[in-house]
Amino acid sequence: MSLANLPAAPSQLARYPVEARDAYERFRTTGDVEALRLVVLAAVRDFMPKRNLGATNIELRPEMKLMEDLGYDSLAVAETVFFFEDLFKVRIQNTELFSVRTVGELQKFVIQKLDQAASNPSA
Amino acid sequence: MSTFSGGRRVLITGLGFITPIGNDRATVSASLRAGKHGLAPVQFLGNPQIPVRVAGTVKGFSVDSTNPRDWTWPAQYDLPRETLRGMAPHGVYAYCAIQQALIDAGLKTDDVANDDQTGLFCASAGSAMLMHNNLALMHSVRGERGNPMGVVSSIAGTLNFNLAAHFKITGAVCGFVSACASASHAIGYACDEIRLGRLKRVLVVGAEELNAETLLPFAAMRALSPQSDPTLASRPFDAGRDGFVGAGGSVVLVLEEASFAAARGASVYAEVAGWGQAADGYSVAMSHPVGAGLQRAMGRALADAGVGAKDIDYVNAHGTSTPVGDRAEATALKALFNTAGAKPVVSSTKGLTGHPLSLAGAMEAGFCALAIKEGFTPGNPHLVTPDETCTDLLLPRESLTTGPTTVLNNSSGFGGSNVCHVFKRWSS
Repeated sequence: MSLANLPAAPSQLARYPVEARDAYERFRTTGDVEALRLVVLAAVRDFMPKRNLGATNIELRPEMKLMEDLGYDSLAVAETVFFFEDLFKVRIQNTELFSVRTVGELQKFVIQKLDQAASNPSA
Repeated sequence: MSTFSGGRRVLITGLGFITPIGNDRATVSASLRAGKHGLAPVQFLGNPQIPVRVAGTVKGFSVDSTNPRDWTWPAQYDLPRETLRGMAPHGVYAYCAIQQALIDAGLKTDDVANDDQTGLFCASAGSAMLMHNNLALMHSVRGERGNPMGVVSSIAGTLNFNLAAHFKITGAVCGFVSACASASHAIGYACDEIRLGRLKRVLVVGAEELNAETLLPFAAMRALSPQSDPTLASRPFDAGRDGFVGAGGSVVLVLEEASFAAARGASVYAEVAGWGQAADGYSVAMSHPVGAGLQRAMGRALADAGVGAKDIDYVNAHGTSTPVGDRAEATALKALFNTAGAKPVVSSTKGLTGHPLSLAGAMEAGFCALAIKEGFTPGNPHLVTPDETCTDLLLPRESLTTGPTTVLNNSSGFGGSNVCHVFKRWSS
């Protein structure tokens, strides 16, 4: 995977807020990891089950736990992982996810994964 | 009445309709009375050369995308994302039909949630569209990733998986797969579970989606009508019929044990007085030439209900508008009713709706319940020249303004599965 191979305006983000789509574009063209953090935040919000929270427009903070604080179940985690696999054309193993519990850890994981994939295209 | 029932009787106490002829009870009833069809022009895969030009479309929904996030449904139904994520297109229809049926039955979702006496029996063929999409992705990435909701959204149990989880059904949950007899099987076995005293209430759900992946394989079997005029395309029992017209939608029936329903003051549509099934043992797809299995299934349904052929005043026929199937059913009907000197009104409402495959038995059971409760009998509005095998059958074109008291509802599926129900006007 290299940033140059990422498509502009991917269909997976078509329903996302314009800020998220702009952030993706900034990451794609400049490699800005802060922009990538924003894309991850938008996905976390998108896959967050609303029944457990009532409102999905709460402010997301890095220390928030996906399951305990945001109402994620294991299927929602799997959906989120598949979203990143599909968006960035990477492969994420189950064992890689064990350390991801919070919003911040997910941001860090995605950044590392893309960095790793960029240096080792077969990853 | 069957001896195993211990006196327990089964009632239809709620209905929900998402059908080509209406998305609520009043519209469906008006369409049946007026003989107003719900068929519309369709084109699949952007190819006008495909000889499938009309279908029983579902209005007010958009579920063509392979991504559920693109789907839309009528605004009165609140479908949360965490339920939607595992659904097939026909699951959305079913979700709306269940909501409608619960309200119609005077039940709240809390009444059926975590209630060990309430079961959920579903009829679905799965979603060929989502299955195809999931497997295409799997092949394109050589098996390296896939949609985690791929299985539960596409295999044949998708309705029961999703609806059971959402509505928190704890009594019993299962699915039925016998093609065009599936929903009729679901009603029959739900009736038995209640008569056996195992459940007090069953939500019976039939649903089918209408898209290229579901319908076009039937064109490959040469089973679909190529007509573009809806009145010519679906004309069961007409000499000129040339295949069936596909349809989608969902219908939900709330079945309850009679004393249980009475205790909560439920309103009653009709009694499920009995049912019967029998198989042809003949062909993977075609009906037996004289409907041998269907004849036995009708006889068993009447015996189970404790009624004779002369007691039946309306037959909602399977009648899909195929040359072979309608001829077999007409022959079977004559064998049963002529022998008994009986002449019930016969109609196939598929002339109006098209054929919704796995959903058919539930949809037509719902129509029969409406006819009994509201006092009308559906006709055969597209019938012009009855097939020569139908000469002794009473096949009115117009609907009748009088309702039946005892109804026979027929369904037949691939492999020669035949399932029949007897519904009666309720009197305690």
